[in-house]
Amino acid sequence: MIVSLKFFVYAFVAWCMSSRDMEDGDDPRHVNRRQWLSALGLAGAVTLAGCSGNGGGGGGGDGNDTDDGSDGGDATTQQDVYATASAASFTTLNPIYNTENGAGNAIARTLDQGYTFDENNEYVPLLYDMSTEDGEVWTFEVREGLEFSDPYGEVTASDFVYLIQEVHQSSWANSAATTSWQGVTVEETGEYEFEATLESPSLLWPESYDPLLYPIPQELLEPYVEEEDTEGLQEDEELLELQFAGNLGPYVLDEWQRDAGTRYSRNDDYYLQDVDELPDVFNDAPYFEEAEIRVIEEEASRLGALETGEVDSAAIPPEQVESYQNSEEIYVNRIPQPYNEKISVNMRDNGWNTGPGNMFRHTPFRQAMAAAIDKEGLIQGVFRDFAETHFTWQPRFSEFYPPEEEIPQFGVGENYGSEVARGLAEEAFAESEYDYGFDGDAMVNPDGDQIQLDIYHSAGQDTEQLMADFIAQELGENLGIDVTVEAIDGTRFNNEYWTTSDFPTPETNDEGEVTEVPDELVDTVNGEEVEWTAPTSTNPGPRNVTTSQDWDMSVVFGLNTYPRNPITNNAFFDGPTAFYNPVGYYPGFDAESLFEQAQAATSQEELADALVELFANLAEEQPYIMLAFPDSTVGYREGLEGPIENFSNGWNLPAWRYE
Amino acid sequence: MATKKSEEFDQVDWNEISRSGRFDLSINSIGMLVTTLPLVLLAVYDWQFLGERTPTFQFVGVDRGLESVDFFFIFTLLLAFWFLVLPLYQNPRMTRYYWKEFKQNRPAVVSLVWLGVVFVGGIVGPIVMDPPQQELLIAYQPPVFTSVVDTTPATCVGEVMNGRCYGTWEHPLGTTNAGKDVFTMIVYGMTISMQIAFITTTIVATIGISFGTLSAYAGGWVDEIMMRFVDIILSFPTFLMFLLILYIYGGGLGMFIVVFSLFAWGGTARYVRSKSLSISEEEFIKSSRISGASTYHVIRGHVVPNVASSIITQLTLLIPGFLLFEAQLAFLGIGDSTVPSWGQLISAGRSDLSFAPWIVLAPGIVLFLTILAFNFLGDALLDALNPEAEAENT
Amino acid sequence: MGFGRYVTARVLWAGVVSLVITTITFLLLSAAPNPDVQQAATQAALQGGNPAEATERVRELRGLDQPLYVRYFDFIRGVYTLDWGWSESRSQPVLEAVGSALYYTAQYSIPWTILTIILGPLVGVYSAANMYSWKDHAATGFAFFGYAIPNFFFGIILLLVFGVWLQFIPVTYNTDVAVFSVENAVQLTIPVFVLVTGSIGAVMRVSRNESAEFQNADFMKTAKAKGVSPLRAYAYHVMRPTLVPLSTTLVGQLLALFLGSSLLVEVVFAIPGLGRLTYKALIAQDTNLVLGTTLFFTFVAVVGNLLEDIVFTVLDPRISYDDR
Repeated sequence: MIVSLKFFVYAFVAWCMSSRDMEDGDDPRHVNRRQWLSALGLAGAVTLAGCSGNGGGGGGGDGNDTDDGSDGGDATTQQDVYATASAASFTTLNPIYNTENGAGNAIARTLDQGYTFDENNEYVPLLYDMSTEDGEVWTFEVREGLEFSDPYGEVTASDFVYLIQEVHQSSWANSAATTSWQGVTVEETGEYEFEATLESPSLLWPESYDPLLYPIPQELLEPYVEEEDTEGLQEDEELLELQFAGNLGPYVLDEWQRDAGTRYSRNDDYYLQDVDELPDVFNDAPYFEEAEIRVIEEEASRLGALETGEVDSAAIPPEQVESYQNSEEIYVNRIPQPYNEKISVNMRDNGWNTGPGNMFRHTPFRQAMAAAIDKEGLIQGVFRDFAETHFTWQPRFSEFYPPEEEIPQFGVGENYGSEVARGLAEEAFAESEYDYGFDGDAMVNPDGDQIQLDIYHSAGQDTEQLMADFIAQELGENLGIDVTVEAIDGTRFNNEYWTTSDFPTPETNDEGEVTEVPDELVDTVNGEEVEWTAPTSTNPGPRNVTTSQDWDMSVVFGLNTYPRNPITNNAFFDGPTAFYNPVGYYPGFDAESLFEQAQAATSQEELADALVELFANLAEEQPYIMLAFPDSTVGYREGLEGPIENFSNGWNLPAWRYE
Repeated sequence: MATKKSEEFDQVDWNEISRSGRFDLSINSIGMLVTTLPLVLLAVYDWQFLGERTPTFQFVGVDRGLESVDFFFIFTLLLAFWFLVLPLYQNPRMTRYYWKEFKQNRPAVVSLVWLGVVFVGGIVGPIVMDPPQQELLIAYQPPVFTSVVDTTPATCVGEVMNGRCYGTWEHPLGTTNAGKDVFTMIVYGMTISMQIAFITTTIVATIGISFGTLSAYAGGWVDEIMMRFVDIILSFPTFLMFLLILYIYGGGLGMFIVVFSLFAWGGTARYVRSKSLSISEEEFIKSSRISGASTYHVIRGHVVPNVASSIITQLTLLIPGFLLFEAQLAFLGIGDSTVPSWGQLISAGRSDLSFAPWIVLAPGIVLFLTILAFNFLGDALLDALNPEAEAENT
Repeated sequence: MGFGRYVTARVLWAGVVSLVITTITFLLLSAAPNPDVQQAATQAALQGGNPAEATERVRELRGLDQPLYVRYFDFIRGVYTLDWGWSESRSQPVLEAVGSALYYTAQYSIPWTILTIILGPLVGVYSAANMYSWKDHAATGFAFFGYAIPNFFFGIILLLVFGVWLQFIPVTYNTDVAVFSVENAVQLTIPVFVLVTGSIGAVMRVSRNESAEFQNADFMKTAKAKGVSPLRAYAYHVMRPTLVPLSTTLVGQLLALFLGSSLLVEVVFAIPGLGRLTYKALIAQDTNLVLGTTLFFTFVAVVGNLLEDIVFTVLDPRISYDDR
């Protein structure tokens, strides 16, 4: 199954991040915490199904039902309730602190956010409309007629400005959106209008999800702000139970049972009913009297609940899609996703534990690995064809996907096989100062011993395990490498292998400027001296700075490729010092200036040019050995209208209904 | 060495009774020592001189590595041979008697045969069979004589008729979602189950019996302290502790065995103690004490044999308990997923239960049968070893 | 030493045991890396701050910079004043979390325990009385079946058969129904059935084997000879001595099941009870909640053992308090 969520609650916690991030998946250029989280995100892409599977509805499927009478008298109670299944329970429903995808969906039933994107990827204003001339100064126009519950009154610009300035930009609150608002100057310019000024222009700011806000009443926040009471804010009953939501969401939260899920009833005053610019279906939204999100951790039980009609949607693992497609009661949507499956190869000093040097550092060697793995076989065997091949750091549906002829396609056709792979490996051996080579079928180190590498996957994740076994076999057959497959707990892998909190830090003066960088934070990359002035736990320094445990390869984490705003990928590839670079990748091309070009682009063409060049280079370099983009496959009850086979699935959830 | 000094019936020559001094080794102990020595040497060789991944027997060209669990396993096997099987051979009269009693219980005989199969399969299987290989294209093959809808397997190895895929002898119990042969995996799982059964039982029995009898016999404040210690062991939420330890430190099969056996002997000790308390109230113990038997002799010669039946009941209950625990941990996804145990297989197949039930059913049933067999066996042993209960019945 | 003093001593001892276990839990947890600290470092790095300083700040905030013994005493004080803190993974106080989970656990564990305690010894003694008859074999077969079939395996299969195929029972546990309602009884039937079949086997076995010894004892012959009715004879002369060794097994067995199997049954049937709470707290690394549930289970285990001891002495007058 796709995600064995059952086992890995934590996986969800960490992996499925803030709701919209995962649902739509993209992000912006400043790395913010949500992105960081969603970057981490992922064991998951795959997991996704499970993740977003909170509803199983990829991304929150939720729907509604027709007003029951209309459809043929046979309106069962089931049609009055829109129920989805969640694989994991929610950590918090406090909108200021939530970072989980599943909880984000649960909050979204009661509380809309600022804007969304429709099925054509067009910006759709909800609570506020954003506009800009130059990408630097953005004007937010708050919709009139938005009401909090009593006693908080109407939603005005000052509520948002207060939230941003006093909470998100404060030093004490540590809210989930803190990093989104770093360096942004916000100013209230009218009762329903405020302005945000960015440090540097960004045409794709909304696509980054950074300016996405929940409405929170100013009076509710004030006591905590005065006291700087973080704990109080986190534990506030009204925030946790979303009691202030007024007419701001399609449903009203009736109850949150920590282990069983949430129950809602229809919000008769939902503000979108009166909004003209949206499709007419919103006029009567939502279409169900009640809604439910049920926490069902067992995959088999979730599917059972879908079959018996207890829930209206659930994620379907690839190997079962075919049988559900034959079902009369359920239809399956296939939703392409931007979360990838890849092998991370450790280029730091604690990687390649099988001999001197580190072959992973040589581009031809990484290419050899990519060429040694049959991507189509992997997709067919593991994902039952419900996945796309992955050659560069974008999914095919991205508008920034480079033309096919400009990128090498390792692992398919003539670029797959033992001969190609061995040829590339020989190139790498020639680059290396050490005497690696082939002895018959086996790849051997200078001592003549066969190369032996570890590959880690998350314990309990079937798909990952299958993939790891497959990789081990392919690398064994085509490159003569002896690969040992190891299972590990995702949390543990993250804490001890993938990231470290123990790294050298540069000295700073009182203003926080870096005054001196210790030697271990300096390395020579492509002949130039590079300083790690801001090491992070996900890039703690040059290759000599390592995590506490040795590891060679891993498929534990998949990453987001940010197709809506690909500049966000600078978090991964913006030079050796990129924010998120656990593997110690040093780009062999000038990635930084390509990102700068993209950032400074004033037209769509300039942007596309820079990005296409970037992605062509990444396809060549294989900083991670790219394998596949698994689709999310979601089953819905026959008759449910609204789900689309697109990555924006779920944007119009309040308007979902049975015909 | 026994010097016949006295003829009085109330005087007993303890040296004679115990046949030899305490330090005089029996053939069993000698055999044990002689066979353990090479094992220890091999272990030291493996640990000190071989790389982590070099197979232990590479020097004779066999590509099979031994891990510390394997060494322990062999040790307990030796123990079982020298102190359980050999004594049976040495005392043919008793053996015949036990066997006569035992074979009346037909389910127990069947159980013994089944456990024999599991035992031999577990030892020989991994040597003669290749480890299960992932072959994604033949995932979800149904077992022989059965069929599934053709959409289930990736490609069908057997015949396809009327849209259904039929199983073949190539994969008698079908294949998993990875195309691994279920039968092979079950055979590999036998090794794991036998390791868990033998090692944990040995540890638990050793600690539990010595602790329990000593405590009962010593009495007074020693007993008090020892039993209070058992209280703590028993109050320990072992399962919870294991989860905790696993999450903090990680751990594999060896960790499982150690943690569980170190916390599982409390019940045995208590049980043995309460049994031997009742026994020490018996007249014959009093009379041996009056006759000057040493503490060691009383415990070794009277208490232990007389609590043996209870211990065997207790242990037969314990072994399946361990197998269950392992399966439960695997089910929760926190076992070591690289260990090919039955529990692991059940857990791997359980999300496929509705359309590929054999992946869960085959190991589930084997696990069930094995646990059942241990129970029947223990029951029969109890009847056979406890002539008192049985005498009246005939 | 009289009975009262004996009980007092045992209760005091139970307190000591709980303290020891609590201490061990504390030590285990304090040896583990604290995810909060790590997270703070990451956060600081993200914001361009100094991770080392952030780490320090969080350590200070959480009191982790204080010496171990200070933290230990704070911790112990919190435990015994029932100040168990806030559960981060559920956003509610730990006590509340434990309380609400207990509510669901009790709903199935009370019927389960009662059924096991009553049916187990009865069937066991009955079986022994009819040893080697078909009734004995049937009872033994059932006991063995229940004991040998892994609870979670049995549960999944029953759920598949009765929930998905036959649709007699709901596939998911519904927390909305009233405790004493038909719906609740229906949805709890299978979990209770699975648990009873699992636990009753061991109880039956031990009581059968033990009572087999007693029913051939001289006092039974005497009783029979004196014309005591078989029922009375069994109740007084077999049942009672059987319960002595049984009680040692019983409590241990039930506790083990309570901790292990109930967790799995809760996971399989999606019952939001204590077992699942604990398990999830562990994987979410919710330290306060892990402690809370560990403490709770410890107290249950300690009290269980205490009761067992007391029952033991009440049932078997041959063992005097003075000897112990």
